[in-house]
Amino acid sequence: MLYFLIRRFFWAIFLFLVATIITYIIFYVIPSDPAHIACGTHCTPQIVAHVRKSLHLDLPIYQQYWLFLWNMIKHQSLGYSYADGEQVNTIIRQDVPVTASLVFGGAVFWLSISIPIGILSALRPRSILDRFGMVFVLIGISAPAVWIGLILAYVVGFKLGWTPIATYCNLLPTSGVGTCSGPAEWAYHLILPWMTFMFLFAALYVRLIRANVMETMSEDYVRTARAKGASSSRVLFQHVLRNSMLPVVTILGMDIGLALGGAVFTEFVFNLRGLGSQLIQSANRDDLPVVVGIVVFACIAVIIFNFLVDVAYAWLDPRIRLST
Amino acid sequence: MALLEVTDLNTRFRTDDGIVKAVSGVSFTVESGETLGVVGESGSGKSVTFLTLMGLVDRRHAEVSGSVRFDGQEILGASGKQLQKIRGRRIGMIFQDPMTSLNPVKKIGWQLEEAVLLHNDVTHDEARRRAIEILKEVEIPKADTRIDDYPHQFSGGMRQRVMIAMALINNPEVLIADEPTTALDVTTQAQILRLMTKLQEEHGMAIVMITHDLGVVAELSDDVLVMYGGRVVEQAEVDDLFTKPEMPYTWGLLGSLPRLDITSARLEQIPGQPPSLLHPPSGCAFNPRCAYAFDRCHEELPELRAGAVGEGHRFRCHLSDDERARIWEAKKASLGAAEGSAA
Amino acid sequence: MRRKHLLSLLMLCTGVALLIAATTVGVASSATQKASSAKALRGGTLRVNQSAGAFDTLDPGLAYVTNDWEVLYSTQLLLVNFPNKAGAAGSQLFPEAARAFPTISKNGKTVTFNLRSGQRFNDGSPVTAASYQRAWERILSPKMYAQYGIFDQLNKMVVGAQKFTDGKAAHISGISAKGLTLTFHLTKANPTFVSIMGMQWFGAVKPSMKYTKSSGGVLKYPSAGPYYIATNQPGRLVVLKRNKFYHGSRLANPNQIVIQSFPNSNGEASLLQIEKNQVDFDMAGVPAADVKTVAAKYGGPNKGQFHVGTQACIIWEAFNNAKAPTDNVNVRKALNYAIGRTPIIKQLGPYAGAASDQILVKGLPGYKKFSIYGNYPNFAKAKAVGGSALSNAPTLNIYYNQASAVRTTEATFEAAQLSHIGLKTKLEPSDPTDYYGPIETKGTDYNIAHSGWCADYFDPFDFINVNFDGRSIQQTGNVDYFYFNNSSFNSQMDHAASLSGPARSAAYAALDKTLMSKYAPAFPLYVPTFRYLTSKRVKNVIYSNYFGYPILNAMSVG
Repeated sequence: MLYFLIRRFFWAIFLFLVATIITYIIFYVIPSDPAHIACGTHCTPQIVAHVRKSLHLDLPIYQQYWLFLWNMIKHQSLGYSYADGEQVNTIIRQDVPVTASLVFGGAVFWLSISIPIGILSALRPRSILDRFGMVFVLIGISAPAVWIGLILAYVVGFKLGWTPIATYCNLLPTSGVGTCSGPAEWAYHLILPWMTFMFLFAALYVRLIRANVMETMSEDYVRTARAKGASSSRVLFQHVLRNSMLPVVTILGMDIGLALGGAVFTEFVFNLRGLGSQLIQSANRDDLPVVVGIVVFACIAVIIFNFLVDVAYAWLDPRIRLST
Repeated sequence: MALLEVTDLNTRFRTDDGIVKAVSGVSFTVESGETLGVVGESGSGKSVTFLTLMGLVDRRHAEVSGSVRFDGQEILGASGKQLQKIRGRRIGMIFQDPMTSLNPVKKIGWQLEEAVLLHNDVTHDEARRRAIEILKEVEIPKADTRIDDYPHQFSGGMRQRVMIAMALINNPEVLIADEPTTALDVTTQAQILRLMTKLQEEHGMAIVMITHDLGVVAELSDDVLVMYGGRVVEQAEVDDLFTKPEMPYTWGLLGSLPRLDITSARLEQIPGQPPSLLHPPSGCAFNPRCAYAFDRCHEELPELRAGAVGEGHRFRCHLSDDERARIWEAKKASLGAAEGSAA
Repeated sequence: MRRKHLLSLLMLCTGVALLIAATTVGVASSATQKASSAKALRGGTLRVNQSAGAFDTLDPGLAYVTNDWEVLYSTQLLLVNFPNKAGAAGSQLFPEAARAFPTISKNGKTVTFNLRSGQRFNDGSPVTAASYQRAWERILSPKMYAQYGIFDQLNKMVVGAQKFTDGKAAHISGISAKGLTLTFHLTKANPTFVSIMGMQWFGAVKPSMKYTKSSGGVLKYPSAGPYYIATNQPGRLVVLKRNKFYHGSRLANPNQIVIQSFPNSNGEASLLQIEKNQVDFDMAGVPAADVKTVAAKYGGPNKGQFHVGTQACIIWEAFNNAKAPTDNVNVRKALNYAIGRTPIIKQLGPYAGAASDQILVKGLPGYKKFSIYGNYPNFAKAKAVGGSALSNAPTLNIYYNQASAVRTTEATFEAAQLSHIGLKTKLEPSDPTDYYGPIETKGTDYNIAHSGWCADYFDPFDFINVNFDGRSIQQTGNVDYFYFNNSSFNSQMDHAASLSGPARSAAYAALDKTLMSKYAPAFPLYVPTFRYLTSKRVKNVIYSNYFGYPILNAMSVG
């Protein structure tokens, strides 16, 4: 276990360095002038020069990168936005709850839909349910997130009026800000974004779970269980399910990165101010510190998730040992 | 009355390519306490026969007909509930590959206890006690600690012992062993077979030993069923089969067996491919590979008929009694010569 | 307010395209909301969205974008201000913090404002002359980033201002603040000085309000207008709350105004929210692609919830008068004939604005409608005017913002039109993050670039002198990015600027016409509108053509 943790730690540092260096290089390669952005649209050359100095843009790129690392280690600071001078830490802290609500709520949604459908269609291949599941899958795979989101917003939010159309409400009740808050409002406003995620991912997961359950059903130990006299439902719940969920857990861990990507579009459609939307905005503004900050955060999230997946996997499958 | 009486059992699988006749017109009986050996190549229908009678073939894809009477009661087409009461309680089953036949994510104790609890209204503690007891009986060392291990922590032979323990934990009347030693090394095979013999003496159950290893059959069986292309091609008491086999396929099986008392000998491949069950050859299914086939063999399926010994020894072959006697004598001589030159 | 955020996101267009189908299905014959009685009610929360955008800053010493000023109008207390009145009356300044319009000395160089007493910031501290002195100093301070071209005028306008900006003086010597008396010493008489005081830069700030190097400026600060900024999360959320100490004549109807910004969004969700009464107003207006259906659904413009307001702006295609072939006046005139105004406006959907081929816009003194070049392409006339200049012309560079689908179509259209009169063109996409930088740099290689101008204050000086005075051309940051420099016209402008009253108006009307008929330094395109929807519950919508927005503090949701 200790060896596992150490190995993981070094792997995390490596991943983190690679991701941030690549981000720096991309920004270094594409032509842009952050100093110009930082000082607004109307700058005299003197002011641009001053800004360039104060943002350390006059230093070579590797020194800028070193400064970034140093600030992060020494001050736990990701720096300041070129565009509006705000602390990157603050920006991310404000964005994370939105994206986290979106991704995790979405994951709960898509799993709670795809697990039952996947199992049922595996138990009854070619049945009506299985065929319906296939249509559902095709929609999810072929339709872009923006399209699904807009259609949901229009049909469910606007035409039927069952849910709010857009915006985010804080999970914790906040007073005085004048916007909605509290768990009920939070969930109510997130229903459509979650459904969008559900459509995007449930499709894949239904197929995955269906295939896994079918494969597990043909395993020798399932035949053994039936030969023991276990009923079909007991076979399913005690012998098939856990084994067929193993690959799902792995994919789920890998999909965290993908989900952040999905968040970009979902946030766009539903006017959510999360990391995805921040990333697009900052990239458009060549706001390197914010983009790097988000990359750093995404790295940490992916690392933590992979760790959790490994732990979960080890718990689910006794053949896996964390030391190996 | 026989304990298990199978009459004219047929199993057909519907596939996208057509109907697979996996089992055709199979009949046999198993008496209490006796051992039936079932021999045949892969695809001969020997495993499917027993999966069918246990109700373990997928009902949505299989058509089953005939009759299976267990202890006087018809169990073919019985409800899932009825079958669940028989499976694991009165008929135990063990399978070829002990590596994959145990659930990898459950402790073996849990899997054994499950077998107890499915059929007995006892406490967990009692189930566990029985599990440890049976593990001791199948000679697993340190049974009371190993019970909390996972399958991957056991060797292949040990896992097969666990499988046997699981099949026997409820004292079944019949144990169906589907190639229980095939996946194991030679030494372990012998240990497992000895264990099974010992347990049969102690528990007094009937054993159906499905195998393609004639040596195993010779050592354990009372009666032998030879299957080919989904049909029984010869059935006899073990001694009769080995001293006077009555049809060319059995000769082929025996031809590859240098000495009858060597347990570990394996079948040598008989030239040619096993028959397609989707498009079986007309007439006798063995005719494409049979050195003695003549016109009739291509046209007409030979009946399962009794030979010189009487009703206890039946076989399918169009060759006349004289021809078969002549060919077998010649074969025996060449086998003996081979033995002589080997020595 | 010289620059409008007219750039649209590529994503917006995708979203628009995708939803059009859905929207058309859903437009039912709906009952038009009867325009509500003007009786405004106080109370409630006004919920505003800002789709596809965010405030770049709400610091009055930095803000210079239209939607920044839209908010500042609700928070700032100006010496003179625009009243909460619809139509032309809304463009007439009235003394707000000042007791009356200022007293101006005989020579016109000393301007004295007397402030009303008892005016307070939302923190309870009093508004004094020093509050306005500080506003000026924050704008012109070398310690702040904002260095807009227009500041050049300000520096030349007030005695000692240039010295202060250069860092050679601690205060602007020409501004003196004593209690409630504020005196400006001008370098020369300036008829537009009072108008300039109506810009949102010159609202009262606390004398202690700090200078900032942050490009986002000071986020929260006490203000003395009807509202104050209670929450400001840049790019995210702005909450305005009523200033209980404000007792002026401007309205303060909502208890609070909540503005949520969505820089990366599609405007469609916002539109649906307004229709569903979940949001009251979107500062981005109705997406161009939806205007037609929305207008039909709500019974046309200004009949109920759908509104169209003209903006005090002129959108133009700027010409580079310093680079061939647009350095040739005959080519510039030929372009004015050949391109065609109406076809371009049509692409923006219904009610987008009215074609215009003059620099001044309605509402400015001196505006006198004329039409020289017509609104439809006239290739024959273009060829006749252009003559040999066209056949010998080198390739024209059409500079455009690639990130905007509308701008891309426009550039392609222009290229096609110019090929009809034998001109070769090259499309030159801009850096998506810095459109103006290159064209504002002397020696730029563009020939045609889309841009525009909105009134900083209601005076023709702001349109004519500011943009076309060639003596202001510097190395970078040029306002005269036409690089138009004509000594005869320069002296005519100087003369017009020195006049006042009807003479001034007449002089500028003549200049406007001369500029376009004789020099044609640009291709004026159209006077844009703001097309927007308000929710069912919003009453008392007062549109200001100066801001190009409905007035937030006047909207009633009570």
